[in-house]
Amino acid sequence: MNLFFVDEKRNIFKTYDDLIKDLNGKDRIREKIYFENPYDIFKELIYSMAMGSPVELIDSDFSKREIENLPMDYDEIFKEKPATKLDIKDFHDLIKRINKNKKSWGLALYTSGTTGRPKRIVHTLDTVARSVKVCEEMRKKIWVLAYNPTHFAGLQVFFQAFFNRNPMIYVFDQDRKKIEPILQKYKVTHISATPTFYRTFIPLVENSILSVEVATFGGEKFDPNLEEKLKGIFPNAKIRNIYASTEGGSLFGAAGEVFEIKKNMEHLVRISEEKELLIHKSLLAPSTEYFLVDDWYPTGDIVEVVGENKFKFTTRKTEMVNVGGYKINPHEVEEEIMKIDGVIDVLVKGRKNSAVGNILVAEVVKNDEETEEEMIKKIYEVLSFKLQKWKIPGTIVFCAEIPKTRTGKKVRT
Amino acid sequence: MTEILLKIINEILDRNGKESLQTLDVQLSLRNDLGFDSLDLAVLTVKIEDQFGIDIFQNGIVDKVYEIINVVSRSE
Repeated sequence: MNLFFVDEKRNIFKTYDDLIKDLNGKDRIREKIYFENPYDIFKELIYSMAMGSPVELIDSDFSKREIENLPMDYDEIFKEKPATKLDIKDFHDLIKRINKNKKSWGLALYTSGTTGRPKRIVHTLDTVARSVKVCEEMRKKIWVLAYNPTHFAGLQVFFQAFFNRNPMIYVFDQDRKKIEPILQKYKVTHISATPTFYRTFIPLVENSILSVEVATFGGEKFDPNLEEKLKGIFPNAKIRNIYASTEGGSLFGAAGEVFEIKKNMEHLVRISEEKELLIHKSLLAPSTEYFLVDDWYPTGDIVEVVGENKFKFTTRKTEMVNVGGYKINPHEVEEEIMKIDGVIDVLVKGRKNSAVGNILVAEVVKNDEETEEEMIKKIYEVLSFKLQKWKIPGTIVFCAEIPKTRTGKKVRT
Repeated sequence: MTEILLKIINEILDRNGKESLQTLDVQLSLRNDLGFDSLDLAVLTVKIEDQFGIDIFQNGIVDKVYEIINVVSRSE
């Protein structure tokens, strides 16, 4: 028995044979993947690869409003087309089909854009799985999936595990107190998660987890305290830090906070005079929505050079706020709050937070008809239907006026 | 301090549609007993910081209510 996917929360245990059976049983295909169940997401994704049919991946917790903002017709996302039944013999046959059809396959992802509307990025199998290592050494590994399955980092874990026929144990929305027992039970060897995810389950770990060989964290600013904690919990593990983006994929790795630009990447990475990290367009997944400067993509990350081909991240140049690994555009949140009756003006900004990196704070100017308490209740009620939880401000404060610059822009610092 | 802490915790429970606490048991685990996720913990941190001027997560990871009380007491 060769396990493929385990999700104890939903009582799903699938082997690679089960997966193939499920794929062979399908006679309908989707162009858009929008499922709550992570197994359904991966099954549909693999099916689209086997069929060589392009597909779009949409966050399962996107609201109707967020989908319409992509822009996309809400009813379209549930549409299915009839498809020829597959007759996949085994895992090798499945991989053969995926490779044969990879030229016609594409994966569209949506990432937070600077305009208030998400950017559409289309990956090929080569760009989305660029950092995947398929080799004998990786055959016996066991992965934990602790990222959102529709986000780039989650997909990296999926592709790495899948192409090596490794088991993938899903814990992203698992009760945190069950994570240690799950890691112990399945003898997980590889874990990759955001610092925020690690922080929520570390205090509940009672015994060291000896099976873990590599623990990776990425998606947020490096946290040296967390690195020390991880060494204690995973005493046999190498601790790695990774820099990846939906646009460029996995680009750099680091031990600690110092990232190294490998020799083969030297000519594709530059640091501008303003110390911004620039990535050559050849590293990017295709999209018509990039803002390029002479073939170079400004990442918005400000870095400090600390040696030859070595750098560390210092800050972000853009207004995007990283909350627990989710990059959020404050304008999108402001737009929703402004629609609420009684709100005159609003400013949403990030505030540093040691639990999730940054938290959103909303400064609201309201009319006199409602009390502050009533208005807070109303805002949370409305936003909980319209936005993903990460986009909802952690605190709301009231003020008489939102400070503006001379050109009329809201002051966000 | 316990009263303020109870008020803050109840605000977060209320936002999550959960029942408020009548009293604050210091042995309660934020994650296990109250079901706080990382965002709830972040909100708790910010609200405590605004009230007491201390970041409870700054020097480590807290989980039990008494750990919060200890961190805040040490700073006062």
